[in-house]
Amino acid sequence: MASSAAIAQVRPVSPALQFLKLMPGVLLLAGVGYAGKLLEVNVGKYAKAHHWTFPNIEYVLWAILLGLLISNTVGVPEIFRAGVATYEFWLKAGIVLLGARFLLGDVLKLGGTSLALVAVEIVGAIAFMTFLGRVFKLKPKLTSLLAVGSAVCGVSAIIATQGAIDADEEDSSFAIAAILALGALSLFTFPLIGHSLHLTDHAYGVWSGLAVDNTAEAAAAGALYSDAAGKLAVLTKTTRNALIGFVVLAYAFYWASRGQAQAVGNKAKFLWQKFPKFVLGFLLISTLATFAFFSKEQIGALANLSRWAFLLTFAGVGLRTNFRTLSQQGLKPFLVGAIGEVAIAGFTLGLVLAAQRIFGW
Amino acid sequence: MSQEAAAVAKPKRFSLDAWAVLLAFTLAALVRAGVFKHIPW
Repeated sequence: MASSAAIAQVRPVSPALQFLKLMPGVLLLAGVGYAGKLLEVNVGKYAKAHHWTFPNIEYVLWAILLGLLISNTVGVPEIFRAGVATYEFWLKAGIVLLGARFLLGDVLKLGGTSLALVAVEIVGAIAFMTFLGRVFKLKPKLTSLLAVGSAVCGVSAIIATQGAIDADEEDSSFAIAAILALGALSLFTFPLIGHSLHLTDHAYGVWSGLAVDNTAEAAAAGALYSDAAGKLAVLTKTTRNALIGFVVLAYAFYWASRGQAQAVGNKAKFLWQKFPKFVLGFLLISTLATFAFFSKEQIGALANLSRWAFLLTFAGVGLRTNFRTLSQQGLKPFLVGAIGEVAIAGFTLGLVLAAQRIFGW
Repeated sequence: MSQEAAAVAKPKRFSLDAWAVLLAFTLAALVRAGVFKHIPW
């Protein structure tokens, strides 16, 4: 019986059935996202008609709030979970399509500036998180995971590093929970800070891309401020993502030299495996747009497709965030993550303000 | 058992990233070919 059950678990499922299993969750993402769009328009109209003073809440926040409401009250039923988990897929497709809105020259110029800021951010974040981990006596590999998660790109970086340094599943889930909880908080705090400091769209977008760890939350935090800030947040975050392979490789070397992880064989192959391929897709679409492969109307159509893909992502950010589950993951990693994130947010804000002065953003 | 499992478990051909890039390029090609002329927002 046990044997047949085990075989049943690995029996290949037809692609059509796999696709069908995703449909309920994808439809839920679309429904929640679209409801967010409808709320943005209709709540504003209703408030205006009744002469209420009501802040203009963008569809991004409505979609996230609706998702959070469902996830933290009735919960997401099993039938929807596989499809809801596709929100990262839509995020990556959306980023590639967003490439059409950037000319290659802008990407190189903005990406070059971002790269310098990202390099400083990564070094500073890793050093500070490692220091905090030692102060709070966290397990060394958990500290490494938290450092990579907060320095580079959240969940993807933690999963990539877990495999490379042979860390425990438990450490990985602690680190992921801390990064996700703090990402959810940043959605509400970053726009408030940005507005209170009167940051320009450019400065705020770069700051979100530098300081918010998970790509979906970075895109959402940027879009909550403005469309232009959302674009820049994605570009800066994509620059951070592009460096994931180098950071994971450095950690793999470190732990292998201590005999606590497998040695890395082919470094080029390792880097290619860890490199996020959607970054190449983004650059390629941007190159095509630069060389007028698409007309102005077609670029508009691609930009709107990108917005629809992000809409599903923002709904997914809310739907997959369950505060009760996150709170069960342990206080210490969360505390280290929280202190680290606040410090990194302050540090990167300082970097952005300095860059704003130098480059006149 | 492990051999049976290995026999039926196929390695993934594409990563999530690769599928996302593929979808984005397919959509871009359809827009370029004029199949999708206007995408509302």
